[in-house]
Amino acid sequence: MAGYHQNLDQQQAPAFFARGPSPLARLAFFSALSLALMATDSRLQYLGTVREHLMVVLQPLQLIANAPSMLYDSTNEYFSTHHRLLDENQLLRKQALVQAISLQKMKTLELENTNLRQLLQANQSLEEFSQLGEILHVGRDPFTKKIIVNRGSAHQVVNGAAVVDAKGVIGQVTRTYPASSEVTLITDQSLTIPIQVERNGLRAIAFGHGRDNTLDLPFLPANVDIKPGDKLITSGIDGIYPKGLAVATVTEIQTSQDSPFARIVCAPTGGIENHKQVLLVSISPSESITPPNTAKQPIVNTDANHATLEKSKPSALKELDQHKKITNEAPAVAVDANTQNKPHAQD
Amino acid sequence: MTLTPKTNLMHKTKLQTIYLSLLVAFICLLLPWSGVALKLRPDFVLLVIVFWILRAPNKCNIGTAWFIGLWVDLATGGVFGQYALAYTVTTFVAVIYQRRLVLFSNTQQLVYVLLLLIISQLTLLTVKIFSGNDALGWTYFLPSITGVILWQAAVALGLNTSRPSRSK
Repeated sequence: MAGYHQNLDQQQAPAFFARGPSPLARLAFFSALSLALMATDSRLQYLGTVREHLMVVLQPLQLIANAPSMLYDSTNEYFSTHHRLLDENQLLRKQALVQAISLQKMKTLELENTNLRQLLQANQSLEEFSQLGEILHVGRDPFTKKIIVNRGSAHQVVNGAAVVDAKGVIGQVTRTYPASSEVTLITDQSLTIPIQVERNGLRAIAFGHGRDNTLDLPFLPANVDIKPGDKLITSGIDGIYPKGLAVATVTEIQTSQDSPFARIVCAPTGGIENHKQVLLVSISPSESITPPNTAKQPIVNTDANHATLEKSKPSALKELDQHKKITNEAPAVAVDANTQNKPHAQD
Repeated sequence: MTLTPKTNLMHKTKLQTIYLSLLVAFICLLLPWSGVALKLRPDFVLLVIVFWILRAPNKCNIGTAWFIGLWVDLATGGVFGQYALAYTVTTFVAVIYQRRLVLFSNTQQLVYVLLLLIISQLTLLTVKIFSGNDALGWTYFLPSITGVILWQAAVALGLNTSRPSRSK
């Protein structure tokens, strides 16, 4: 067939059909190049800086592309009625009042907590550093759940920072560019997040489900003490997410005869896909949060500290019922140990 | 065989036109798509590449597609080379059958474009599955459908892959 074509070329296809190397040669060359690039990019970390530099080139184009929607937003804002603004103002005032009260409470609690920790000679919990970011756009790759936020390495955003909205954790910064950063959502397949059940302190790791907006709690025994409606919060043992942020609510638990594990489905608490503003939280900006793959060692250490602390705490602090739960905690600790070696976000 | 510039139809397309249209398509890709629109978003860049490959294969070829593919990779934030590979394979098929396009009716051409778009998506799917992603449902192929609709709209508006041999 190809030969027939070549004959045609010579007969009636004149000079302007001269195409240089044959399509097959081009295919082979460029495919090989693509494959080599893919291998380099996914296995070796050479292309990170190249990507950053190219993103700078892309920035003006991105601005142009965002202009229409931003224009729409700003005109919308401009024409929003006086009445609506007043209403909103009132609502926000109320909210501020309520939050001010809870903030006061929190301050005393924080003080109490530090005192108690000192009494127990435990480590101080880590300081948090946060900044507000705005979602530029949703990730364009249909296979992953990502968002792009308008804060980047120029604003001291670091890889691994937790991303939170008003209701809970929504993800983690996995790639930083100069003026923007890529956030992998907790529902992404590659993201795992250490959690704790609020009700009984049971620790586990939540995995993003990928396709629908849910999280899974795998590797927990069928008789695990988790009920639908249980709230999952960050356990803070990873040194990445601050402790106590809402992550998800358990929606469904299935146990089957043929599996020793329960199938636990959770719905994220944060408005994963409906907010514009997010908070980028990193723990203490001074000791820079290392990206997941290099963060293994410190994580293991803090975890070990925490694990022993967690066990000694109830006797001094908590009531008897916490003791009962220790038996439940055992499998969770085992899971922690297994997953420690896994980076929290695999690129 | 020598040709007078008049019959040399393919050279009528200016290189700037190609790059400008590719840039516009790329900006279309960069628009903040979300939700259902994101699921339906046609592959603008590939459509424009295919259009130029069919119309002016001497100006826009597999190399161009590969290069633009790299930028699409950058924009989507995936591993470098995925879209580049998908576009390379697709444009290869496009180039092979480019000269047969003369014989194609409008409907056949549409089917052909649909096939190209699906080839691109399949290549991407294969790469993604190899790198450990789950296959998405059939909705993954919706952009191919919307792409063909867009193509038909463009044809209806007067854009056409001009066929050099016909004008002889």
